[in-house]
Amino acid sequence: MNALLTSAVAGLTAGGTYALLGVCAVFTYRLVAVVNFTGAAIGTAGTFVLIALFEAGFPIWPSVLAGIAAGTLTGVAVGYIMTRWFGEAGASTKAAVTVALLVGLMAVGLRLTGGQHPHNMPELLPGSAFRLAGVEVTIASVLTIGLAVLFTILSDLFLNRTKVGLNLRALADRPMAAELLGVRVQLLSLLVWGMTGAFTTFALMIIAPQRSPNFMTLSLLVVPALAAALVGAFRSFWWTLAGGIALGIVEGLASSIDSISQYRSAIPFLVVLAVLLWSQREARWDEAR
Amino acid sequence: MSRFVVSNLSINRAELPVVTSVDLVAESAAISVVLGANGAGKTTLLEGLSGIIPVAGGTIAVDGRELQKARPGARSREGLAHVEQGRTVFRQLTTEENLRVSLHAGADIAEAYALFPELVQRRHVKASLLSGGEQQMLVIARSLLTRPKVLLIDEMSAGLAPVIVTRLMAAVRKLADDGLAVVLVEQFAALALSIGNRAYVMRRGRIVYDGDCAKLRQSPDELHRLYLGGAELAGTS
Repeated sequence: MNALLTSAVAGLTAGGTYALLGVCAVFTYRLVAVVNFTGAAIGTAGTFVLIALFEAGFPIWPSVLAGIAAGTLTGVAVGYIMTRWFGEAGASTKAAVTVALLVGLMAVGLRLTGGQHPHNMPELLPGSAFRLAGVEVTIASVLTIGLAVLFTILSDLFLNRTKVGLNLRALADRPMAAELLGVRVQLLSLLVWGMTGAFTTFALMIIAPQRSPNFMTLSLLVVPALAAALVGAFRSFWWTLAGGIALGIVEGLASSIDSISQYRSAIPFLVVLAVLLWSQREARWDEAR
Repeated sequence: MSRFVVSNLSINRAELPVVTSVDLVAESAAISVVLGANGAGKTTLLEGLSGIIPVAGGTIAVDGRELQKARPGARSREGLAHVEQGRTVFRQLTTEENLRVSLHAGADIAEAYALFPELVQRRHVKASLLSGGEQQMLVIARSLLTRPKVLLIDEMSAGLAPVIVTRLMAAVRKLADDGLAVVLVEQFAALALSIGNRAYVMRRGRIVYDGDCAKLRQSPDELHRLYLGGAELAGTS
């Protein structure tokens, strides 16, 4: 029983990261109407700036800030492409473009970072935060979940209590009508891309030491992130948060069971499949009615 | 006193000419009515004027400042407001939030409620739940809060009851009387001509009449001919 609890708690860091990446995906989808497959790749780009600076002997926290700045700029660059050239495209076209950009980012990233070459990824906040039923809960777990909760709360407050948030909600509903009223659509869209770039970069910096830190592995964390976003129907920040954390815990539990541990990376696909089947079930019920 | 001048404007859609060599003027405190049958190019003209679609040639100027290369947002900030057809409210926002989105420096939401007091009681209702007439009032009031010099209105009467259309026409006339230059595209020709000052009739993307609203209103047969063809540039400005 204690072994199961240990495994579940071990999944919390991944869960917090999935949750934060998922909430960022929902934020991007709700405000600029893009299902963003590049989310984790943008964060990975920033994370590798941190790794490069750290390996070159720079102190860790200035390197973290430089990495977050790089992730933010990468997000803005992707956002610029999406708003400048695909602003009026349909949702499926935009999603396809982000898949193409993901492939491009991974190819360039792998080339620049030496492919599968192992890197020295520093653990930002090592150690234990507290004990839960005799199991150590790491600072990284608390930090990622805390960051995900903070981003969720801030997103709600930002969108509902500020003029910029109001403009973003208008932009999400009818981009052209918002622009015709003088709302600075491109600037606000880039703000969204930049903000999500910064948060995803920090989340990936925390989880990177636990994963094989190569560009492709980290970039593909977008899969569990989108699975979490799907749990929230790409609409609810709180359900996405819960979905991400639950996904991490289930992955942790699966790793403790020998017969299924090697298949645990397939869990996000099962979640995606289950949620899509559930939504289809409702559609069929509607048709039968 | 604002002056909106469109010269030799041409607009293409899918590389086919839809609006060709249009000249149009809208003066402060006056309504320029643009009439024409379905497919004449009226909506394309307004979309080109506000920047939704690019123009192929010609100039668009507010108080002498050329805007034909500017983005829609920049044109709005220069004083050009466009009320699109289809009642483009922000559906998930309340009435008041819709108004706050467009609130520019120096404008006051009270002006919107003064123009349409009907909206006061609906201020906390989601825009998607408003009636068609209320939604149309909201988009007109919303554009007012951008502090425009020129107001382009596209088919505001579409799908609305006659009593509501009359109410909206009166409000548009009041906006013009308060100093706005209005370009009103309408299907209900008689009603539009009754509140307008200067009339333009479009056919196949070209202006075939440019003259007084009153004169055209007294000649329904001529209006018919202009809509259906057989008469070229019958009026004089």
